[in-house]
Amino acid sequence: MRRGNARELSLLVFIAVLAGILLVFAPRFFASKNLVDILVNTSYLAIAALGMLFVILTGQIDISVGAILGVCSTLAAVTAKAGQPIVVVFLVSIAAGAILGGFNGLVSTQFRIHSIIVTLGTLYAYRGALILVTQGAWIYNVPRSFNQIGLGDVLGIPNPIWAMAIVLVVGTVVLRYTTWGRALYAIGSNTEAARLAGIPVRRVLLGAFAANGALVGLATMFFATRFSAIQSTTGSGFEFVIITAVLVGGANIFGGTGRLLGVAMGALLLGLADSAFVFLKISSYWVQAFQGFVILVAVSLDNVSFRRRRATAAERNRALTGGEA
Amino acid sequence: MRRFTAFLVAAALLLGASAASARQYTIAMIPKLVGIGYFNATQKGAEEAAKALGDVRLIYRGPSQASVTDQVQLVNDMITAKVDAILIASNDPKALAPVLKKAMDAGIKVVTFDADANARDLFVNQATFAGIGTSLVQEMAKQAGNDAQVAIVTSSFTAPNQNAWIAAMKKEMASNYPNMKIVTTQASGEDQQKALSVTQSILNSYPNVNGIFALASTIFPGSAEAVQQAGDTGKVAVVGLSTPNEMKPYMKSGVVKADVLWNPIDLGYAALYAAHDLLTRQGPLSAGVDLSLGKLGDRTVQKDAISFNVLLGKPFVFTPQNVDNFDF
Amino acid sequence: MSAPAANRTHRRWRVPFTETVLLVALALVIIIMSRLSPNFLSFYNFFEVTRFVAEIGMISLGMTVVILTSGIDLSVGSIVGLSAIVMGRIFGLGLGIVTATVGCLLAGALAGFANGIITTRLRIPPIVVTLATLAVYKGIALGISQGQAYQMPKSIYFLGQGYIGPVPVQLILFAVFAAVFIVVLRRTIFGHNVYAIGNNETATRFAGLRVDRTKVLVYTLSGLMTGIAALILVSRVSSARADVGESYMLDAIAAVVLGGTPISGGRGGVWGTLLALFIVGFVRNGLTLAFVPSEVQSIFIGLLLIIAVGLNQISAHRGRSS
Repeated sequence: MRRGNARELSLLVFIAVLAGILLVFAPRFFASKNLVDILVNTSYLAIAALGMLFVILTGQIDISVGAILGVCSTLAAVTAKAGQPIVVVFLVSIAAGAILGGFNGLVSTQFRIHSIIVTLGTLYAYRGALILVTQGAWIYNVPRSFNQIGLGDVLGIPNPIWAMAIVLVVGTVVLRYTTWGRALYAIGSNTEAARLAGIPVRRVLLGAFAANGALVGLATMFFATRFSAIQSTTGSGFEFVIITAVLVGGANIFGGTGRLLGVAMGALLLGLADSAFVFLKISSYWVQAFQGFVILVAVSLDNVSFRRRRATAAERNRALTGGEA
Repeated sequence: MRRFTAFLVAAALLLGASAASARQYTIAMIPKLVGIGYFNATQKGAEEAAKALGDVRLIYRGPSQASVTDQVQLVNDMITAKVDAILIASNDPKALAPVLKKAMDAGIKVVTFDADANARDLFVNQATFAGIGTSLVQEMAKQAGNDAQVAIVTSSFTAPNQNAWIAAMKKEMASNYPNMKIVTTQASGEDQQKALSVTQSILNSYPNVNGIFALASTIFPGSAEAVQQAGDTGKVAVVGLSTPNEMKPYMKSGVVKADVLWNPIDLGYAALYAAHDLLTRQGPLSAGVDLSLGKLGDRTVQKDAISFNVLLGKPFVFTPQNVDNFDF
Repeated sequence: MSAPAANRTHRRWRVPFTETVLLVALALVIIIMSRLSPNFLSFYNFFEVTRFVAEIGMISLGMTVVILTSGIDLSVGSIVGLSAIVMGRIFGLGLGIVTATVGCLLAGALAGFANGIITTRLRIPPIVVTLATLAVYKGIALGISQGQAYQMPKSIYFLGQGYIGPVPVQLILFAVFAAVFIVVLRRTIFGHNVYAIGNNETATRFAGLRVDRTKVLVYTLSGLMTGIAALILVSRVSSARADVGESYMLDAIAAVVLGGTPISGGRGGVWGTLLALFIVGFVRNGLTLAFVPSEVQSIFIGLLLIIAVGLNQISAHRGRSS
């Protein structure tokens, strides 16, 4: 646990430095409206990042989440337009995500194919299927109740922020206090040992992928609902942002380490950086270079955990896939 | 999968059938990318034209992202597939030129629409860059005043169309609205969410901004949403380009008063008619000749540095008053 | 050198099987595609397909070596853009096309070198490093070019658009490089090191081999190959842009993986990658000629990837238990 703390601490320092620079050069950044805007824009990222954390903790990955976001957005919008109540819309989005994510998990575990390849394939396949079915058309005229989900607020706090807070709390509880959550860490640390200890590895993995998809479906409800039209290209590039947030947040790419707090901070840092560059009036052409640099620094901050894990990575891979990955 | 197989069977049958029937022209229409409402509208127009003409088989194919290399590959394959004509909205005028020249050398007619390329038989121009730039600036001045402080949100700094519009806008400002100032230019890709958050950041960091130019159909809704959410309806003007369907909700709520565009359905329609004319006319094209564009009437061919072009007309401004008349 | 020896027995047994399957698949693809369109089966079309295969192929050659060491390079798409822009900028400054070409290759190699150094010195996994450098390199390219595209002179067109006899120039170039890679991987110490690192890095380190040096070399090589791909691409489209080559990364990785090199490295190789490249190339080309839309092609390729790798896994397990 000490190692996890180191990353969060480093991130905190990093954010503090960024805040310091902003305080000097662009104090307007701290206007409450701007901070709230950033939080709202980061909410759906944080929700989806929790799902990705589940998967990465076990040493797997899912790069199809962008396509899943697109599919869930379209399905949610269509369901809402068909006049279904909000609850149904939520269920449809979450269920669709769970099914697509679950499929990824099923293929990875049943056929012992590394998840990066499976999800590379489903990235192509899901996106293609979406465009094929929608014929590239956008969904217009979504009902106002649909937009209210993403744009409304309760007690003055926007809905997306509530959702993010609830998800973070539930996520932390699941990861720390449930056997399922602990199993994720165990599988990521040493799959063979986890299997020998009686953990149903395949079932837990399947659950992780399905949960990831479901959380993407949930995140969709606080992302897609903020627009009046749903593009069929929604979600392109999403997977990279999410994975970056998780890695910046301190999760070990090989699994076994990672805390939700760190991931949430990672997502926040990315959201802050995006906005900060506009405020700091950095030439727009160089913004992307700066963003990349920020990421590079963030992931270099505390690489002790990586050093620790390296030695067992190959063995873990082998254990998971039964020998030859 | 069954749909896929059916498609294959249909394609095979069609390929066989077309050989036997009267002269059918196969025309490939290649947008910048698929999955965008604007280009779906051009497709609609082209299909309408194909139906009206009766002897055209339209193949609408495009890359899934605005990629130069994907488009080049697509054109190349269309050459191999021996299509009769290619309609294309190019992702880069220079990069597409070699392969389009190759197509022309192979006897294929090349007509560009929406975004020109440096090698083509004809360019169907919806409205000049100058016309669009001028319209945008004029609308902004109407809403935010001649001395407006404006911000530009563009799609990408490498997008040729957007860059040309920005250049035209700057020229118009320099000539007629010297007190209008551009405080910042940001890029948000073809991503609504990014457009939303970028616009929010702009509004938050430049409190004296009272006008936003949103230069793509994927950006305009996002920027309008940002202004609306910030409660700045009426205080910050948002002017841009997009399809009427996307902007209807924002026109209703009063955030958007002007949407500068042209009719993309007409554009697609005209492009197909123009290609058909090139395929059926006797003798080469020359300046001053009238091209018949079906229900749109005639347009006069003009000569330009590359070859020839026809101009559809002035930009069209969609407003809350007329936006309900359109459905695309 | 017991690890490489066991490797060799491993490889001689298993790899031919994968490649046989791929060869059969390639034959099947060619037969099916020629049924779908009369324009498919011709030398002209084959050579056209190879133009595109050659570009992705250059990147895939480097990527094969990277994945063999159990690494990955997600930044190749951005390196293409960066190299292209450097080339365009140098030429635009009036320094001549030769200098510009050297600049292009140097930029690619340096970018790869940076990837290698960061991952070995700071001990950060390659997937994490290259995810970050993906953004950095793209950003630098955008910053240098300020969003403009550079026009390239006619003298460079030969590489990407020219022919030697009936054969496109880049195909010949690609064939030469592929042959070099095959020889280097099979017959040199460097090649053996690459496989050894992928099989068991710790053991290789304990055996006294210079793991870090090899890795840096591997990533630099990957960067250089990407620079070459950028050169060919620029000469084919006669202009240099920052965002050119963005879609190449996924396709390059897919080709390596489809070709039988597992994502954790240690076995597989260039032959498999070559076959996979042509399979994907012909599938895309054949479907486009049959006017199948690109979204359907995507579904196809996605499923193909999963099925093919799954089959490879099944064969691997069957082989091991005997």
